[in-house]
Amino acid sequence: MLCPRCDSEQVRKMVDSPVGHVWEVYVCEKCCYSWRSTEKIEILPKFKLDDEKIAKLGVIPPIPPLKK
Amino acid sequence: MAKVYKDLREFLEVLESEGQLVRIKSEVDPEPDIGAAGRAAANLKNSPAVLFEKVKGYKYSVVTNVHGSWQNHALMLGMDKNTPTKEQFHELNRRWDKYPVPPNVVVREDAPCKENVIEKDINLFEILPLYRINDQDGGFFISKGAVVSGDPEFPNDFNRMNVGIYRIQVKDKDRVGIQALPFHDIAIQLEKAEAENKPLPIAIAIGNTPLVSFMASTPIGYTQNEYEFVGALQDGVPTDIVKADTCDHLYVPAGSEVILEGYIIPRVRKVEGPFGEFPGSYSGSRLQCEIQITRITHRNNPIFENLYLGIPWTEIDYLMALNTSVPLFKQIKESMPEVVAVNAMYTHGIGVIISTKVRYGGYGKGVAFRLLSTPHGMPYSKVVIVVDEYVDPFNLEQVMWAITTRVHPSKDVSIIENCPGMPLDPSTNPPGMHTKLIIDATTPVPPEPNPRETQLLTPPAGTEKWEEIIKSLWVK
Repeated sequence: MLCPRCDSEQVRKMVDSPVGHVWEVYVCEKCCYSWRSTEKIEILPKFKLDDEKIAKLGVIPPIPPLKK
Repeated sequence: MAKVYKDLREFLEVLESEGQLVRIKSEVDPEPDIGAAGRAAANLKNSPAVLFEKVKGYKYSVVTNVHGSWQNHALMLGMDKNTPTKEQFHELNRRWDKYPVPPNVVVREDAPCKENVIEKDINLFEILPLYRINDQDGGFFISKGAVVSGDPEFPNDFNRMNVGIYRIQVKDKDRVGIQALPFHDIAIQLEKAEAENKPLPIAIAIGNTPLVSFMASTPIGYTQNEYEFVGALQDGVPTDIVKADTCDHLYVPAGSEVILEGYIIPRVRKVEGPFGEFPGSYSGSRLQCEIQITRITHRNNPIFENLYLGIPWTEIDYLMALNTSVPLFKQIKESMPEVVAVNAMYTHGIGVIISTKVRYGGYGKGVAFRLLSTPHGMPYSKVVIVVDEYVDPFNLEQVMWAITTRVHPSKDVSIIENCPGMPLDPSTNPPGMHTKLIIDATTPVPPEPNPRETQLLTPPAGTEKWEEIIKSLWVK
């Protein structure tokens, strides 16, 4: 299974439905996208990610320098 | 004394008895049903809260749109559900001045939020029916959790403890992301912890008495305590809080449905978002903090209270409407007692309408300048409309009347470039810089000449009496 957002293979199951076996939730280890097996996932091109885009994402909040 | 709610459940009971809550008894799918219902409720006038008793695959219930109408907002204040917005504004202003009202710290045994404890095999999905709110969101978000955190430098300073609603993305069964924007209070505390590579202990309270959510989304000073404001807004009745289990200096609302305890992992940023935000569009992905959840406490049959956000107005607009207007009003009124009311309800104060007596020629513009120099107004407010003291700034028909009959665009409209701006406003470029727009819709007063002086129409004698007569005979 590939991540629908970044096409990574590093996808794992996060959780099964607590009641019945009606859905699972998957998560991508690379880009943290998560989705349920019952969803129809259609990610817009502008929200797709790859290594290059991830590296350029803004950091919120900035990480402060370590105190001596 | 106005009605006060010990917890969310008491408020939901009142909403239901007042016809402001609908129950969905049949089973729904987490997506797209709950988000769609949140949007649908917002599309209806005077809309009710929507409670889902059964969500497929989950144990417990979800409620949304709890704050999503003026009726619900009035009931939150213990007022009649048909109280006009302007009256609610003035009542909030009156109660605001009762601050501080110290909260009541209850013992652990008396706190319903501690009824059940989970210390291992933490799985948020067991307790909360999590769902995707808007289809391009990056995951399942908790959009109404009140995050409690303390200042690492002054951990026992109760006033520096912060209670704020920040968006939270579920990343794993026991791990969530949090958006801690640099200008929010939690970022002050986080910076101190991260500078020493220490975790920042937090507690997230989900499903709260409505004035806790209200105060947790109000811009107040860093050293002002949100719980003490809740007491003030309960007209002097203290709110109940209880100590968190994993951290001695954190206090959570005693009646919350679910408390997640844990810590922000220091110096870590992971991909978070996108998320549909209050200006009606998605914020893209960014690298943001993550929280490790180490403990859950919850009431029996906990209710997951979550908020829908979309193109305004949705529930978040009602939640932020008067809690943005009141602080701005207080700040302007300090130096300009002529100001009658402030309506800062549009997109968290990006649009503002101020009603004022015009003391001397040009005063209207002066009031706008004062708004644009307040701590919130400076970055947020972009469109500022000033109206006379007899125009209700919460009545848009009256405001449009004022604009259409009292504005001479060649002198009354000012455009001021290169001012501070709000990055989430997509019309600002570069993000963080704005041009301000002032529309002075007040009637000219000396020394400004008024060559077309008018005689306003006043109500015939007995009009108030007739309002009561018609109301009493009117069968709805």
